[in-house]
Amino acid sequence: MATVETRKISKFYTHEQAAVDGIDLFIPEGEFIVFLGPSGCGKTTLLRMIAGLEHPTAGDVLIDDRVVTALAPRDRNIAMVFQSYALYPHMSVFDNIAFPLRARQFAKAEIPGKVRWAAEMFGIARFLERKPRELSGGERQRVALARALVREPQVFLLDEPLSNLDAKLRTSARDELQQFQRRIGTTTIYVTHDQVEAMGLGDRVVVLSQGKVRQVGKPLEVYDEPADTFVAGFLGSPPMNLIDRGSAILGFRPEHFLPIEARETGNDAVRFTFRVTRVEYLGADRLVYGMLEGGAGEAKVLSRLPSTVPLPVQLGERHEFVIGRRDLKFFDRQTGLRTAPIPL
Amino acid sequence: MSEQKTRGVTRRTFVKAATAAGLAAGLGPFVIPRRAQAAKTLKILQWNHFVPGYDKWFNNTYIKEWGEKNDTQVIVDNVGLVTLNSRAAAEVSAQKGHDLFMFLWPPPVYEDQVIDHAEIYQECQRRYGKPIDLAVRSTYNPKTRKYYGFSDSYVPDPVNYRKDLWDDVGMAPDTWDDIREGGRKIKQKHKIPVGIGLSAEIDTGMAMRAIMYSHGSSVQDAEGNLVLNSPQTRECLKFVKALFEETMTPEVLAWDASSNNRMILAGKGSLVLNAISVTREAENKKMPIADQIWLAKAAKGPVRRIGLEHVMDVYTIWKFAANIEGAKKFLVDYIGNFRQGFLNSEFYNFPCFPSRVPDIKQLLAKDSKAKPANKYAVLTDVLDWATNVGYPGYANAAIDEVFSTWVLNTMFAKAATGATSPEEALSEAEAACKRIWAKWKEKKMI
Amino acid sequence: MTALASHAAAPTGARSRLRRLADSERFLAWALLAPAVVFIVALVGFPFVLALLYSVTNVTVGTQSASFVGLAKFRQAMESPAFWGAVRNTFLFTLVSQALVIVLAGTLARLLMMEFRGKWFVRLLILLPWVAPISLGSIGWLWIFDSIYSVINWTLRHIGIFGPETWPIWLGQPTLAMASIITVHVWRMLPLAAIIMLAGFSGIPKDIHDAAAIDGAGFWRRELQIILPLVLPIVLVAVLFGIVFTATDMIVIFIITRGGPFDSTQVLASLAYYTGIDGGDLAEGAAISLFLFPLLVAIAYLMLRLARRTEVT
Ligand SMILES: Nc1ncnc2c1ncn2[C@@H]1O[C@H](COP(=O)(O)OP(=O)(O)OP(=O)(O)O)[C@@H](O)[C@H]1O
Ligand SMILES: [Mg+2]
Repeated sequence: MATVETRKISKFYTHEQAAVDGIDLFIPEGEFIVFLGPSGCGKTTLLRMIAGLEHPTAGDVLIDDRVVTALAPRDRNIAMVFQSYALYPHMSVFDNIAFPLRARQFAKAEIPGKVRWAAEMFGIARFLERKPRELSGGERQRVALARALVREPQVFLLDEPLSNLDAKLRTSARDELQQFQRRIGTTTIYVTHDQVEAMGLGDRVVVLSQGKVRQVGKPLEVYDEPADTFVAGFLGSPPMNLIDRGSAILGFRPEHFLPIEARETGNDAVRFTFRVTRVEYLGADRLVYGMLEGGAGEAKVLSRLPSTVPLPVQLGERHEFVIGRRDLKFFDRQTGLRTAPIPL
Repeated sequence: MSEQKTRGVTRRTFVKAATAAGLAAGLGPFVIPRRAQAAKTLKILQWNHFVPGYDKWFNNTYIKEWGEKNDTQVIVDNVGLVTLNSRAAAEVSAQKGHDLFMFLWPPPVYEDQVIDHAEIYQECQRRYGKPIDLAVRSTYNPKTRKYYGFSDSYVPDPVNYRKDLWDDVGMAPDTWDDIREGGRKIKQKHKIPVGIGLSAEIDTGMAMRAIMYSHGSSVQDAEGNLVLNSPQTRECLKFVKALFEETMTPEVLAWDASSNNRMILAGKGSLVLNAISVTREAENKKMPIADQIWLAKAAKGPVRRIGLEHVMDVYTIWKFAANIEGAKKFLVDYIGNFRQGFLNSEFYNFPCFPSRVPDIKQLLAKDSKAKPANKYAVLTDVLDWATNVGYPGYANAAIDEVFSTWVLNTMFAKAATGATSPEEALSEAEAACKRIWAKWKEKKMI
Repeated sequence: MTALASHAAAPTGARSRLRRLADSERFLAWALLAPAVVFIVALVGFPFVLALLYSVTNVTVGTQSASFVGLAKFRQAMESPAFWGAVRNTFLFTLVSQALVIVLAGTLARLLMMEFRGKWFVRLLILLPWVAPISLGSIGWLWIFDSIYSVINWTLRHIGIFGPETWPIWLGQPTLAMASIITVHVWRMLPLAAIIMLAGFSGIPKDIHDAAAIDGAGFWRRELQIILPLVLPIVLVAVLFGIVFTATDMIVIFIITRGGPFDSTQVLASLAYYTGIDGGDLAEGAAISLFLFPLLVAIAYLMLRLARRTEVT
């Protein structure tokens, strides 16, 4: 178990464009932290630099307060699970799991016991004699996890380990993964572009864009209090409504934008006139598309209504909708950063 | 559905296009108009002559003139000498090829495949007088009484030596013992060795036979019996071993047919056995060394002075040739014009019908390029000291296989380098010869 | 597919039949394969059958008719010491050159996988021997080994490795001559082998290398336990190809040493040529050339099985 820190770490693959752009991060011992961001934002690159598979153009990586930037991956006592699992195809499951132990010169007698322990942890003890090609995707993923776990590393690095599983399997795997991490308590860095995964798994989430950190925080924090318009527009599906209001940008989540009947109106609510243009049924929810009228001109927004809330309006009609004052976020027009509320 | 359909159409188009292309390729030769041509054609295959001027004259002048007179389009294909055998084998197996196929050595194995060339000899003899014995012995099978080829010319194989070096040690290469002693002295004094091949190539084959015949040894006797295993052959093996150790370096073990030319022209050899292509090249390229390379008659051994021909031109006409009559006539006419051949080969090709170059003595005595002008005069009595492969018998199929599979070359090389004892080398060679004899006897060709 | 074609093709008669043919998978497969089949039959199958027939007769280059003699020609060939010498040389030549090819090609392929400037040029240079006609390259080598003009000797003398008395005759001494032909053959086989290996190495996903690095594998463990097993199937195919090719090839020998000095570089293929074509005994030549066939088939079978066993996906 260890802390992980990056200091002003950057990676330039080409001269012009930084894949990772001066990131400072501190990950305390035992934390499950998730790197989240759109494709190409530099998550993998950052993770690989922490692993030592990629050398930073500038900056340092520290593990347990020790600078490890110059060390080879094998000397960092980390384990990594790859999106492709990267199992050794010519070795049996047993040999795959035993490989890191053998590479680290563990005593011969110790190895079978450890392998068995790791395999049992992930319920794959039955498959030890099989070759990876004889396993299903989910089983392979467990083998990869067992291989990472077996030598009890200081840090786990996982790069989209669930993305090759089907949706159902992914949910259960997510659950198991979290339980497992809680049990062993190893510092874990998890890379994903799937916000559901990030929200569900992470103690904290690091939202990245274009090689930079946009926000770090607990899942609810980043969701409820986005630091800038990027985070606001990236998290949530559908994401936050962002509308231009003069000097500021006004943001509110669709689920907070409700018909006036559905909410007690008081001082803490702001009213809007909403013309409904389209309704989409999603089972438990409905998405209501429409135009916000009045004020500083029209703006396209949407509302998300639980199916338990009646929709008191026909297509094409106007209706009064409200938002709680607390649920309104303000962003600077120029920088996109959060600002203090302005009077509306 | 729509995607499938497009796939089908594309594919159909492809097949059509491919078929069209195939048809065009197949029909091409028939559709392309051919230029007007003579009534008959005559196709000749021969080697790339070592004297380039000969090919120029033969291909560009002689055959054109003959072709016009005989209303024949003559086509010559020149190939490298090492490919002659495989070409011949290919033509025979296809039963198709050239009308005249020229070998550089007697080709008795093809006896069944060629016409009897007796008629050509008869006609030439009627017109131009008797052919030399060497020609007959290189083209006649006494067992079947058939002429399996027709020889227009042969190439003498004199000794080529560095006059300056030999003068320096006060010797001349007249006998094989002279060559051994003088060669040794020159090698010691000047670090310049003798260059007689001990490799799997034609010049080595000729040189080794020259040593054998002059020492009274041979592969067969006059009747064609195998007599390789003899005290004389043992003598020869010892002699070659001494000659190799005292006068040469291992380079001769790796040679091809032109290595000896290169060696002496580079100034790195004191003596080689080769046709006059060596001195001719030096003269034509105006190399300073030209004046230092002199010629001598074949060296004298303990028994006799005798050497080989360097190569033997043998024209053959396949039974399956398309224009047998034209080929016959071409040969007869060529002998009639042989003086031109002699001159254009720069005295490389010597006549098998000596009457066709009556002034050969005068020509050899006064050469325009050589210094001294009578350098080539030693060749005047070449017939007194040159003989055929197979001496004292005929060049038959067994002799040919022994020659072409380099049995004697290997025997001498092994003994000379000490890879095996001379006795072992001899017994291996004899065993090989016996197998070969048995084979061709069974085929009733010897 | 067929059903589709029939209602897509309205026109009648020959044209529609042609279209239907063009749409038929079976016909098309055959049509497209036919040239390859013809090619293989003409260039490999036919000569092979011919050699089989020849070897049990007493045919010569000069005869068309021949009689059946059973295995007499094989016996005849095996009686001669030259034959057994050639067998030995063939093994030596094949094994040593293949071992060298594999080691060198492996190294070369690894070098080629690295990123450096001008890589394309180096790749081109390495492929050149394969593209250039072998006879041309071999003639170049002939000059390199030439007894008078030897480039190697000249260079080594000028940089002071050889004294004034040292002037090895590369093709004139049995061991050096064998080393020379092996060198040329290795030079010749190297490009293809290196490219095949390169394909093998590039086929290993980057993640596997990364995983091994993270798992703590050192250089040798990574080479021997990860990379080697993963490229093994493809290396085996390269080796198999190399062995069959080397054991049946004579062109290098034909051009460089012609079997000399005194048969010390004679291999079965060249001996077969000299006996069959130059010597005129086609039957014995065929027998000699077929001698290794059963062995090569066995090797091929073993290698392919091994390759299948180790195959990974
Ligand atoms: N080896 C490389 N050479 C050059 N550019 C690279 C390399 N690897 C990544 N990049 C670039 O760096 C940027 C960040 O890549 P990275 O793989 O870290 O993204 P990511 O956030 O992991 O995306 P994804 O979710 O698609 O995996 C991208 O623009 C990518 O094109
Ligand atoms: Mg990634």
